[in-house]
Amino acid sequence: MSEINEGWLEVSEEAGIEVEDIVRFDHDNKTYCIYRLEDGYYATDGLCTHETVHLEDGLVIDDEIECPMHQGIFKIKTGEAISPPACVDLKTYPVKVDNGKIFIKI
Amino acid sequence: MSLKKISIIGAGQAAAYAANEIRKHDKELGITIFNEENYLPYERPPLSKDSITNKKKYEELSFFSKEFYNSENIQFINKSVKKVDFTNKTLITNDAKLEPYDNLLITTGSKNKKLNFGVDQQDISDSILYLRNIEDSKRIKESINTHKTFAIIGGGFIGLEVASSIAQLGKKAYVIEMGQQLMGRVIPTQIAKLVSSYHEDKGNVILLETNIVSIELKNSVYKIELNNKSTLEVDFIIAGIGSKANTDLFENTSLNINNGIVTDEFCRTSEENVFAAGDVANFFHPFYNMQMRLESYQHAQNHGIAAAKNILGQNLPYMHIPWMWSDQFDLNLQLIGLCNDFDQEIQRGNNLEEGIIYFFIKQKKIMGACGIGKVGKVGRDIRLAGKILETKVDVDIDDIKNKEVKLSKLLKR
Repeated sequence: MSEINEGWLEVSEEAGIEVEDIVRFDHDNKTYCIYRLEDGYYATDGLCTHETVHLEDGLVIDDEIECPMHQGIFKIKTGEAISPPACVDLKTYPVKVDNGKIFIKI
Repeated sequence: MSLKKISIIGAGQAAAYAANEIRKHDKELGITIFNEENYLPYERPPLSKDSITNKKKYEELSFFSKEFYNSENIQFINKSVKKVDFTNKTLITNDAKLEPYDNLLITTGSKNKKLNFGVDQQDISDSILYLRNIEDSKRIKESINTHKTFAIIGGGFIGLEVASSIAQLGKKAYVIEMGQQLMGRVIPTQIAKLVSSYHEDKGNVILLETNIVSIELKNSVYKIELNNKSTLEVDFIIAGIGSKANTDLFENTSLNINNGIVTDEFCRTSEENVFAAGDVANFFHPFYNMQMRLESYQHAQNHGIAAAKNILGQNLPYMHIPWMWSDQFDLNLQLIGLCNDFDQEIQRGNNLEEGIIYFFIKQKKIMGACGIGKVGKVGRDIRLAGKILETKVDVDIDDIKNKEVKLSKLLKR
């Protein structure tokens, strides 16, 4: 991962990532998820706030991510927990695409 | 229809979510929940797992905070209901007080079946712990902290989850199961075998087709004689042998009871203005065209929400496809739909690291799926299996078998 200006971190190439795909990004002992939705890319913390499970294995339905363990649901764009057992919101992060590459600002 | 007051008997998940749902649509209606426990409605799954293994505190289990119920004007009455007078629409509480209602929602849940070793061994029967609520979980936790070896009677979800907690705390559990496999009522044999091996690898002992012939308690040690003529010595006994709908309050009333309170797809019981939801309800499922009673987290919540909507006159049939999970060690097991009616059984995945799912297919349509894997590894495909099942589309067996094919593609055809 090459760090570039302004604190943006390179996640991956954009090629091959389809709508509703999730890319996991690990950095500095933390894990994040980058989602491709119909209208662009979004990022949240990578672990469910209910139990320690990676949301990269979850299911994206429209603009929501459903945890693969107990089906807690979060709004991807805001991180809001909207269905239990999840009750604590996810943090969200800015994402940009530059020259065919995806970047996250943590 | 003008409703004034909704009373809810029982304060579990279905009650909490029904109350929350009613309040979303109506800020004025009176909502009263009759609660026999000294806790606000709470999550039960951690009681056999994270609460015992110190990963989650009992205080963290409430669905909604006290402040939430106060601000939403949802009232709790900490009494048990002793009688329901359906004719006069009145509840009678344990202190003989009359509590009138306009609509009633029954969410009394289920209760544990118990073992009985006869009058001569009442002390042994009384010493066995069962798991239903926070107090039970605290007692089990204390017993695990103070003992070393345990007999778990019953190889169902609860027994195995407690056995998993015991092993994780460095103790040993002997799981005694009468049937030929673990979790026999609902889980495919292949998955039951994987679970069995996993427990054995972690130091537990699984005893299948095993019955208890006699139990003796001497010097704080239980001597359990088994039908295979062997004897087991343990420090403590915990049992999870299934549960039944908690309908005691309605015995000898006009309410239609048959393996739970019989309801239609709108959560309506045989009594006017009386609804039932969650574990206690034997409801009509339009998708399967049959009555069913379910005991699961997702069902309790969604059925409570459905009851609330129908109490408010929305007339929405409850159609959720049954889904449940069990967490043991670092494994997550999930089941969706029904896995007992099929002409083809298709395996997807071949190791626990990435997850193994068995799809149950009838006339090219998915009827149900059951999977197990390291935490998080089966959830997406199980969830998609449920969505595909709902659409009743024909599936290509090769797509199901091939983990490289995204199941979401099958939905978009």
